[in-house]
Amino acid sequence: MSTPPNTPAAPRWHSARPWFTWLVGWALMLALAPRLDLANLAMVLMLTSAVASLWLPGGISAGASAVAVIAFNWAFVPPRFTLTVDLHQHALLLLAMLVVNWIISGLVIRQRQLADAARQVAEREMRLRTWGDTLRDAVDPAAHASALHAALADATQAPVAVAVLRGLGAQPEDDSTLHVGPVNDEQRAGLAVCIRDGRAMGSGTGRYDELPDWYLPLRGRGVTLGAALVCGMGTERNGLELRPHLQALCDQMGSALHRSLITAQELQAREQAQLQATRNALLAAISHDYRTPLATIMGAASALHDQADKLDAGQRRRLAGGIVEEAERLSRLTDNTLQLARLDAPAVQLRCDWESAEEIVGAVLRRARRRPEGARIKAWIEPAMPLLWCDALLVSQLLENLLDNALKYSPAESAVSLQVRRQSSEALLSVCDRGPGIAPAWHERVFEVFQRGDESLRDRNLDARGQGAGVGLAVCRAIARAHGGELRLRARAHGGSCFECALPLRELQDAPPEEGPP
Amino acid sequence: MNQRILLIEDDRELRAALKEALSVEGYAVQTSASLADARALLQHADRHTAPELVLLDLGLPDGDGETFLPELRRAGGTPVIVISAREAEGQKIRLLDEGADDYLVKPFGIGELLARMRVALRHRGQHNRPAVLSYRHGALDIDLAAHRVRRHGNEVHLTPTEFKLLARLVRQTGQVVTHRQLLADVWGAEHTEQTQYLRLYMGQLRAKLEDDSAEPQYLLTEPGVGYRIADTET
Repeated sequence: MSTPPNTPAAPRWHSARPWFTWLVGWALMLALAPRLDLANLAMVLMLTSAVASLWLPGGISAGASAVAVIAFNWAFVPPRFTLTVDLHQHALLLLAMLVVNWIISGLVIRQRQLADAARQVAEREMRLRTWGDTLRDAVDPAAHASALHAALADATQAPVAVAVLRGLGAQPEDDSTLHVGPVNDEQRAGLAVCIRDGRAMGSGTGRYDELPDWYLPLRGRGVTLGAALVCGMGTERNGLELRPHLQALCDQMGSALHRSLITAQELQAREQAQLQATRNALLAAISHDYRTPLATIMGAASALHDQADKLDAGQRRRLAGGIVEEAERLSRLTDNTLQLARLDAPAVQLRCDWESAEEIVGAVLRRARRRPEGARIKAWIEPAMPLLWCDALLVSQLLENLLDNALKYSPAESAVSLQVRRQSSEALLSVCDRGPGIAPAWHERVFEVFQRGDESLRDRNLDARGQGAGVGLAVCRAIARAHGGELRLRARAHGGSCFECALPLRELQDAPPEEGPP
Repeated sequence: MNQRILLIEDDRELRAALKEALSVEGYAVQTSASLADARALLQHADRHTAPELVLLDLGLPDGDGETFLPELRRAGGTPVIVISAREAEGQKIRLLDEGADDYLVKPFGIGELLARMRVALRHRGQHNRPAVLSYRHGALDIDLAAHRVRRHGNEVHLTPTEFKLLARLVRQTGQVVTHRQLLADVWGAEHTEQTQYLRLYMGQLRAKLEDDSAEPQYLLTEPGVGYRIADTET
């Protein structure tokens, strides 16, 4: 480290200080020359030289002292204004002055070097400590590659580049490798070799000594997760002390990278396991849902097939009717399962358009009324309901599922209400029944019970609500949320449940042109 | 004479089941499992063997129904009913926009299929014959030529736009008309994205023509696709 870091204004003053001292010294000597004898004037010169050497580098200080002694000879030693030394005393005086000046300069400079070294050590320690703190707080240390870049550049004042691997097991040549700072192809290859070998290389390292640059590995525990390139270090005088310091910076980064990658890996493994469990639970739930209608279809169809001769027309019609009804149920189940998979995917594309709540309800009712229990549905839509910005098919599916649920879990003669109304900036679509209701503890879980990998929860839910709600409610909530809305369950005052879907209302921009009376 | 139907469906079981069910109803059913089959069949057909209605499944092994529809259209005014899976939503609507007559989503009941076929066959070759000019169903009596709409025998006053919208649906009684078709025909080609116009005017029409606009009997909604005025014969 040749020049200690300072504020930008300081160096100019630094370099001016010794010359200013000399100027003051000479002015003093010239002013005092008529009144003082030669020995005392010499003291002023020595004092000036000692003070100036506080700031001057060794060689310059010695040179300056020599020049000053010669000038002193010329200016003050008789015969004045010549370089002639006529008296032995004067020669001795001048020689002694020169030697003492040099000794003082030497001592001062040595002291200064010791102080510099101590400051450098303190600075490095400080840098390591701040760097450690930076890394400890970092969630993704790879994001701190540029911070390492800055720290190395600050420590060396040289061009620096950093390469960081983005995963344990990643190859240095991968495109994913993060590079900070400009590198040419050769340097890039050098970084890759350094990462592979996990050892420093370049001048003074014992490996590829002929290289002018240093390549320093970022080492974690047993792995190398990157490398740093510091250019032009071959000519560095303090190389022997500087390199371990830079290596320490790099290794801190290496262990931080290693720690974070291991943590990420663990997290991923845990998520993977959870995903697997969820998927298994979902598959189990779906197969369970499919089994009941399939059993009915199988029973009825095989009866028609095997016992055709023994069945009368009425029996045949009833069996066939059962098949149709259960096939419709299977179709709904399939739609729900497909939709759940689709809505679970990131970046779902909804086919949104301006839709009328009245029309959606109308289409849903028309289908529901075909079923015998469909007559129990009472629908009401707030007059002058604004248009909804939504995917009509999805919202129909949501309402169909909720109606299906409500009809299934409420007494055969009780009414099921379907209402659409406006509530501040939301449209509220609600389906309410007079069934046994759902225990408060289950109000949230009914929506997600099959998505959780918890078999015991599912069984208890089956007990509470008779047959499983399947993926139906989970799909409903997914649909509501895909629209930026929410689906909630509310207990009704005199028994039963209300499923309320809130969808945000948007301002309609483009109204149709007005027209006069016909 | 039995009406000739061409069923293009690649699933063997479904093809067999539909063929049987349609034959029972008195249709002469030809089947093909791919577009290539269907093309060959159409090429060798003459005036007496050409199908009078095509049931076209989307997602065939050797190509898209989308490429086949224009060929059918060029060959003549054979009505086409598109059979689609739930996932082929977008494609189905495109085909309807391009002139397919109606659609069914798998799985469907045979009753539904027969009803759609009857409507499509009734509308067959409409380009050459005078358009449907009247609609009489339940309490509703619409006479397009006389510009008159009656409900329970009482005259109903419609705005010009409402009437145009209603007339467009009546001309294709029983068949779905897509949003895009309605918007283009009533408001003009530059308004095909303004679905909100449709919603508002359909709401007004229902308020004037239906007993309960939440449960319409005439002006039916096909969510995400379009509208259909209920068939007079069901």
